[in-house]
Amino acid sequence: MAATQQRGTMQPYRGGSGYVARSSSSGLYDVLELILDKGLVIDVFVRVSLIGIEILTIDARIVIASVDTYLRFAEAVNRLDLMSTETQGLPELMEGITEGGASSKTKGAITGAKEALFGGGDEDDEGDGGGQRTRRSSSSTTRRRRRSSSGGSSGGSSSRSKSSGS
Amino acid sequence: MAKGKANGGGARYVYGVVRARRSSRLKQSGIRNAPIKVVAHKGIGALTSDVPDDGLEAGRDELLTHSGVLERALQRGVVLPMRFGIVMPDEGSVRDRLLEPHREELEAQLDEMDGKTEVNVKGIYDEPTILREVVEEDREVGALRESIQGQPEDATYFERIRLGELVSDAMGRKRAEDERWIVDRLLPHAVATEVGEPVHERMAVNASFLVERRRRRAFDRALDELAAELGGRINFKYTGPLPPHSFVELSVEA
Repeated sequence: MAATQQRGTMQPYRGGSGYVARSSSSGLYDVLELILDKGLVIDVFVRVSLIGIEILTIDARIVIASVDTYLRFAEAVNRLDLMSTETQGLPELMEGITEGGASSKTKGAITGAKEALFGGGDEDDEGDGGGQRTRRSSSSTTRRRRRSSSGGSSGGSSSRSKSSGS
Repeated sequence: MAKGKANGGGARYVYGVVRARRSSRLKQSGIRNAPIKVVAHKGIGALTSDVPDDGLEAGRDELLTHSGVLERALQRGVVLPMRFGIVMPDEGSVRDRLLEPHREELEAQLDEMDGKTEVNVKGIYDEPTILREVVEEDREVGALRESIQGQPEDATYFERIRLGELVSDAMGRKRAEDERWIVDRLLPHAVATEVGEPVHERMAVNASFLVERRRRRAFDRALDELAAELGGRINFKYTGPLPPHSFVELSVEA
């Protein structure tokens, strides 16, 4: 169900390359993790209770390292016809994520959100000076932030690391 | 998370922070069709709406409304998005607990985010392509696959799990490489990036970029170019322009 809705929100865009699908925001699936996991948080206040939302993005990462995934990969690899250059009809983009009950996922996500809410806050205190940086945010998920060296050339060499250690 | 007392009465749902000279009511509705009220304080303001007395249980509609209110705000100017689901006890606390104590950092971030938007880029591997690469490049995978082929499933259960695990590991190594390559290509066209974990077993990259509005076309072009170079090996989903969810932060109060 959710998968259909997600696809419905995408406006297929065939840009220069044809390999980039674009949506001008509001596709719930695409912004869900940002809305739930990112943004300003103020510590002491109540968050509303979440019901009936399939928090696909938040918990889907747990699925990645599971026996089910391994068996699915094994099957896909076994089916693979190495001689053939044709791609076989394989599951649509989101199917892997939508598997599993929504209710349990929702519960997990609320816990995750709570952790994020009270998790360690890594201060974004660096000036705008040059130099790229890599850091972990205060979110419950592991994210790394880097700052562009004021555009122009891409130099990945001088990245610094910071960790909030949460 | 039951319905709390704080959800009733004069409780306010808070969407984000904008520049505002005076408090006002916008011709725009928020969650449960409550009008959006700007609670202003010394040049900055919070976008809020009343929370119904019977409490607020949020679902898909509320998420979409939260996102929609912020998008409208982004069209009007700079906005610092709150995370979904922040409810404060009343209008006074919006001023006293959010706007006043955090005024300097909010002002600084409003300045910093002005003229910039977030763009989220997800890259998804084409499964047959990536699996073929793994089988052809990884000798252990290739050998195990050969040994299993044609055998009954029951007899090879653990071998198949092992095979899948090896494939998953190999994909993880490819993901790390591809993620770095993609981010390095796009970052020169952005101000900053926030690289997230894959949320999907075939996800190659999941990254948000803070992009100056006037450079968005260049960013888009860079993505189109690298996608074309990858020739369908990785397909991309691009979402934006968005409010800068991934690039705002409040310091935690003591």
